[in-house]
Amino acid sequence: MTGDSAASAPGQPGTRAGRPVGRNTAGSRWGHLLHGGLLRGGVHGSPVLRLFMRWVRRPLLPVMRLWRRNIQLRIVVTTLLMSLGVVLLLGFVVIGQVRNGLLDAKVKGSQSQATGGFTAAAQQADSAATAAGNDGPDPGGDSVRNVSEWMSSLVESLSSGGQGAFDVVALSSSGAGDARGFGPRASGGVDPSRSVPEDLRDRVDDGAGAAQSYTRIAYEAGTGKESQPALVIGKQVNDPYGNPYELYYLFPLSQEEKSLSLVKGTLATAGLFVVVLLGAIAWLVVRQVVTPVRMAAGIAERLSAGRLQERMKVTGEDDIARLGEAFNKMAQNLQLKIQQLEGLSRMQRRFVSDVSHELRTPLTTVRMAADVIHEARVDFDPVTARSAELLADQLDRFESLLADLLEISRFDAGAAALEAEPIDLREVVRRVVSGAEPLAERKGTQIRVVGDQQPVVAEADARRVERVLRNLVVNAVEHGEGKDVVVKLAAAGGAVAVAVRDYGVGLKPGEATRVFSRFWRADPARARTTGGTGLGLSIALEDARLHGGWLQAWGEPGGGSQFRLTLPRTADEPLRGSPIPLEPKDSRRNQGLNHAGLPVGGSSKLATVPVQTAGENVQVRAPIELRSTGATPTVDPTALPGDGARVVPRPSPSAGGPPDDEAQDEAGDVAGDTEERPSQGGAEQFEQGEAFRGR
Amino acid sequence: MRVGAYVGCGAVLLAGCASMPDEGDLRGVESTPRQDAQVRVYALPPREDAPPSEIVGGFLEALTSDDPDYETARLYLAGKALSDWQPNASTTVLGEAPRARVEPRGTSEADGDFLYRLTGQEIARVDAQHAYEPADEAYNETVHLTRVKDTKQWRIDRLPPGVVMGESDFQRTYVSVNKYYFTSFARAGRLGTVADPVYVRREVDPVTRMVRALLKGPTRWLNGAARTSFPPGTALKKGVRSLTPDDQNKLVVPLNGKADHVTRGRCNEMGAQLLFTLRDLMPTGVDEVELRRSDGSQLCVLDEGGADDVASHGAGERAGYEYFVDGEGRLVRMPADGDGEPKPVPGALGTGDTEFRSAAVGRDEDRAAGVSKDGSEMYVGSFASGDSLGDPVVHSEGATPGDRLTTPSWDGRGDLWVADRNPSDPRLLVLQDGAGEPLEARTPELDGRIKAVRVAADGVRIALIVERKGKVALFIGRIERDSDSQGEPSVSIVELRSATPRLEDVTAMSWAGDSRLVVVGRESGGVQQMRYVQVDGSMPDGPQPAPLTGVKEIAASEDERLPLVAHSEEDGIVRLSSGSQWQTVVSEGTAPVYPG
Repeated sequence: MTGDSAASAPGQPGTRAGRPVGRNTAGSRWGHLLHGGLLRGGVHGSPVLRLFMRWVRRPLLPVMRLWRRNIQLRIVVTTLLMSLGVVLLLGFVVIGQVRNGLLDAKVKGSQSQATGGFTAAAQQADSAATAAGNDGPDPGGDSVRNVSEWMSSLVESLSSGGQGAFDVVALSSSGAGDARGFGPRASGGVDPSRSVPEDLRDRVDDGAGAAQSYTRIAYEAGTGKESQPALVIGKQVNDPYGNPYELYYLFPLSQEEKSLSLVKGTLATAGLFVVVLLGAIAWLVVRQVVTPVRMAAGIAERLSAGRLQERMKVTGEDDIARLGEAFNKMAQNLQLKIQQLEGLSRMQRRFVSDVSHELRTPLTTVRMAADVIHEARVDFDPVTARSAELLADQLDRFESLLADLLEISRFDAGAAALEAEPIDLREVVRRVVSGAEPLAERKGTQIRVVGDQQPVVAEADARRVERVLRNLVVNAVEHGEGKDVVVKLAAAGGAVAVAVRDYGVGLKPGEATRVFSRFWRADPARARTTGGTGLGLSIALEDARLHGGWLQAWGEPGGGSQFRLTLPRTADEPLRGSPIPLEPKDSRRNQGLNHAGLPVGGSSKLATVPVQTAGENVQVRAPIELRSTGATPTVDPTALPGDGARVVPRPSPSAGGPPDDEAQDEAGDVAGDTEERPSQGGAEQFEQGEAFRGR
Repeated sequence: MRVGAYVGCGAVLLAGCASMPDEGDLRGVESTPRQDAQVRVYALPPREDAPPSEIVGGFLEALTSDDPDYETARLYLAGKALSDWQPNASTTVLGEAPRARVEPRGTSEADGDFLYRLTGQEIARVDAQHAYEPADEAYNETVHLTRVKDTKQWRIDRLPPGVVMGESDFQRTYVSVNKYYFTSFARAGRLGTVADPVYVRREVDPVTRMVRALLKGPTRWLNGAARTSFPPGTALKKGVRSLTPDDQNKLVVPLNGKADHVTRGRCNEMGAQLLFTLRDLMPTGVDEVELRRSDGSQLCVLDEGGADDVASHGAGERAGYEYFVDGEGRLVRMPADGDGEPKPVPGALGTGDTEFRSAAVGRDEDRAAGVSKDGSEMYVGSFASGDSLGDPVVHSEGATPGDRLTTPSWDGRGDLWVADRNPSDPRLLVLQDGAGEPLEARTPELDGRIKAVRVAADGVRIALIVERKGKVALFIGRIERDSDSQGEPSVSIVELRSATPRLEDVTAMSWAGDSRLVVVGRESGGVQQMRYVQVDGSMPDGPQPAPLTGVKEIAASEDERLPLVAHSEEDGIVRLSSGSQWQTVVSEGTAPVYPG
């Protein structure tokens, strides 16, 4: 059950969507399973079968893998099999023909020989009868008719003609009436009862002339001869007293069998050679083709890995060489273009950096002048004084913008250096919170810190972390609409995290990824008046990256947002998960689920969050509700992959899944899983995050 | 350039593979034993409710089958016959299969009695010792059938002892094998052997049967002259059923307690007897025999080479030359195993000073005895050149050349035998070691005139052509040597028996194997023919020599691989190598002989 669901859950959107629906679906599944088990009774059989199949397939897997991946192997094996089939077919046909030819010749020769033998036997009987007739007829018929000796000598004389070429068997006719007849006689150690087939005897008994059959000669145990196939020709002949008996000629087919086995051996040898030859030819040909293809594949892989200077080796001027040349040309063009683009972007960054630098000097002068003007504003008329204040304010903004630009350009140039040392994040948080306290008071917001009972130590650059957190906290206070801001700290499994939660206006679908874009603003209307430069989150993201950490955002319209900074506990350690779920437990979706899970269950397959929020917030926040409904997948599918919902469901297994205190690692894992599947319309944030982790 | 050379080499190689070879690859050819086209008879058990005639016929047929112990034949018996019948007691060979006729007297079907009379012409009998003995008398025995009370089946309850069958069945079922025993003399430190032919059933474990027969000792005919090295009473250990050579062609023979304490040398002699016997039984023989005591420990192991060291087997040394008397009365010789012009022998017999008509060469081929042209005198001379012939050692008083001395013969111990055909004083003379005063051998059983004499290499058996009442027949006799009361040696020929009961006019003969002779003779009413016969009077297996007309004299070696040499009236001295036809050697010549 567990393995089952674990295997299928990530792959099937339906199952995943079903998860939040919770016990109901799970219960139904249990019921289904139980039901089926009770009814079919085959539930135990099938896992055993599956286990067995798995056990069988396991050693075969590498072979199958090789089979799938190696075109050369496939072609060679196919060629071998096909040629083997043809050779076998040919062999059967040829052997059949040779066999028939050999048998025909043998049968003809044997028949004439046997016919001669039968005639000779009849003549001997005649002459013996004549000789016996001279002695006078049997008086009264009381004498024992003893043909025994005559029969022995007849068989001996007949068989002496064919040393090894045939054997002779004489059997008393079973149809000879009440007269008893004689014991079987056989030459050459033939066992007559086993060698002469019954149906031939019946046929010969009918007296319908000579008959033939194939049989297997069995020899007496003492002779030490092996049984062998033979042609047996039999006829009913009369003995000197006129009683019929059966005379059989047995022609061993050993010579024919030898010839046949010679042909067989020859064919087998030739066939083997042909198969090997065809296999070798196929191997060679495929090798000629596959080797350059493989080389091209390897080069392409290296090119895609960024080693743009790789080229194929080209020899000759055949098709393969043309392929190589074209490939190389393509690679060269690609490299050229990429280099051009790189140069262009380098130039741009350089330009930004230079402009910033160049602007600083005049700005300093302007600043000094403005300071003087500002100092003297009390002497100005109110309108001028107001202008002076404006000037000073905008200069402050300009200065910070310039500083941020410089910082960004430093990141872009790769000049940012990390000075990591073990720090306690609680102190950083305290500093940040105390720094933001005045702003918070102004906004009427209270900043709470959660999870600071234990030290949260990580190897990090304190200045940068502080800058990131300050940015987040200030943002939260600014967008918090006077509601509380919660800063949460946690550490687990080689990672530490700080999440900043506000309950303000939140993020619209899709914004969670866009917040990190440079100069992006949530509300273009109030742009430039409040807030910072628009570069704060970009810099924060760069800072997080520099640490090898993640900076992610979650938000729901009207439900506030949460920004989470996850850092590895030791620098250079790759992150596998975050101790804090990205979607907070008190998100509207989670709460809405708890309250009104049933009506939502069926309708929200993928975009659960908006629908639910819609369901709950109709009365409370009508304006936002409008927007969120507009963002439901049915209406705007293109918004789906990149929208907030895409980010939101990530921690859902831990929040809405079976036990609430499931390991937080799993949440991180699932989050990671989700991230690893950037969809085509996907947010750049994800790609960035993945690329970053890859480096 | 080099490529061309390679291509050329390849072409030559391919051409070599693609055509039949026309030279090279010289190697010896292993002779594969001829396929045995032996006909087997499968005896059938009696049918339910079979009539008496069928019982008798089935029983007679079962006797000719290859049942090891006549199990099927026993199914036809009942009552007393079942326990008393001894199939191994004797085998009676009839000219044809026995005829069975109902004997009206003694037959009463109602009372459950049926009497059959078996008749035929008995031609031989094999006794319990497996010895073959020709016979010529009417066979007349009865077989009584009774209806078994509880089963109501006809069964034989009285029958003659032993087995009876026709000759062709006998030829098919039995095989003649020589047992080997030792003679009383030794030559060159090695014992002499004498063959004792017996008949055993071909298909029924002949190895074990031959070993048992060998252990029982020589057959009655040879008993006085041959000795066995097995202590009396030696037999196979109890419980041993069958002996078979193992993979290394080695035969293990476990003996009973009687042989536990024999000496090493004695044991080797026993082993040699076994090896010689088995070599005769099987074409390949066995390579090694191991004799075991009754407790299973090894008595001794003997291989073929060791056996040949113990005793001179068969012909002993292979004859180096064939000899005959050429047109000028000289004794000439030519190599026995190849071509070569006949050359006069060295020594006095080859000079032509004295003309000979026949000769006998000693088995060591260092001396010869020659009979002078008129047959009246016999000389003995060595092959040492320069020796003079000396005085004749035997003189005959016969009136005509045909009534004087026969061709002499040397036996394996160096004695020279010759017969004087003088009708008034027929004698058989022995010259001890080829010299000295001739000793007249006593021939108490002989009534007739000896026309030819040939002694076997073993010095125990002698073949004589005897003319008696107008019939000329071949007899085999046993030589018994003794000393009379004065210490004078005496020799007698005893136990004469006919080896050719069917030949009427035997003109020439010669030993052609350990127990085989080649005989030229005529059946009654037939033409002259040449054939091999066994010393016991049976017809041996295997091919007969190619026919040749007008044979006056014939010579064969006891080594069967050497060619036959004959003196033909038309063609002179002719020779028959195995596997070919008669070929003329010299047109002028008489009295071909091998040493002996």
